Amino acid sequence: MDSLLALIGNHLFHLLGLMAVGGALGLIFSKNAIHSVLGFLFCMLCVAGCYLTLSAEFLAVAQLLVYAGGIVVLFLFVVMLVEVTKYKEKGLFQTQAPWAIGMVSVGAVAIISVFWRTFFPADAVKALTLSPELAQGLDVANQNAQAVSRGLFAQFLLPFEILSVILLVALVGAVVLAKSERV
Amino acid sequence: MPSMNAVLFLSFLLFSVGVAGVLIRRNVLIILMCVELMLNAANLNLVAFARHSGTVNGQAFALLVMGLAAAEVAIGLALVVALYRKKDTIQVDQINLLKG
Repeated sequence: MDSLLALIGNHLFHLLGLMAVGGALGLIFSKNAIHSVLGFLFCMLCVAGCYLTLSAEFLAVAQLLVYAGGIVVLFLFVVMLVEVTKYKEKGLFQTQAPWAIGMVSVGAVAIISVFWRTFFPADAVKALTLSPELAQGLDVANQNAQAVSRGLFAQFLLPFEILSVILLVALVGAVVLAKSERV
Repeated sequence: MPSMNAVLFLSFLLFSVGVAGVLIRRNVLIILMCVELMLNAANLNLVAFARHSGTVNGQAFALLVMGLAAAEVAIGLALVVALYRKKDTIQVDQINLLKG
């Protein structure tokens, strides 16, 4: 399985990347908001596949759970809640859309033309390691979840706890913002 | 294992599409989704550089970014619902309550 993934991982990444960009384009160009959400879902699934080919397995599963399981459902709820079809005749795009597309393409070409000269060498990717005192007794190159958890709970403990507080505040804030005022 | 350049290029493309979506669409929900897309592109970059440096820090940080994105979506959608109650629209060019 590992050798198979190593063999086709490169092509798989290119395929999934193309599909992700296709999903993103479907997201921004589709007329119906539901179709946009579906394009977003497709894009997130493809990015999760890209994480798998980059051998970040834990992150891929977290992406599936958080995005496909949580965020897309939330978006679908809100799209159903607000009646988007009522405003269909008002036009999808801003009046400055051609200018915006032009500026983004000019910026893209500029960045690519700079980026084109600074290639990373083909052996620029390495096996995953931890600092020696964290990696005791672990075969970290093969066990992504263990390595990520060691990194998260040893080196990133304070940001992790701050993030949990932020999530709690966001939870309460979302309830306060979205509840109707009469209650 | 995909090369570093391929990952960076994909992340760049996704980020550009996200920026274009934020700039051209009128629907607040789609703008929020494009912001999520940009956060995902940044995550892809973090994972790529975690592979490049050989350490796990980038992946741990990408996980933190993912949690933050979830919080941001919850708040953003609550704001959209509150705004829809108040103003009865979610088109950004009609949300001009501050104009006086």
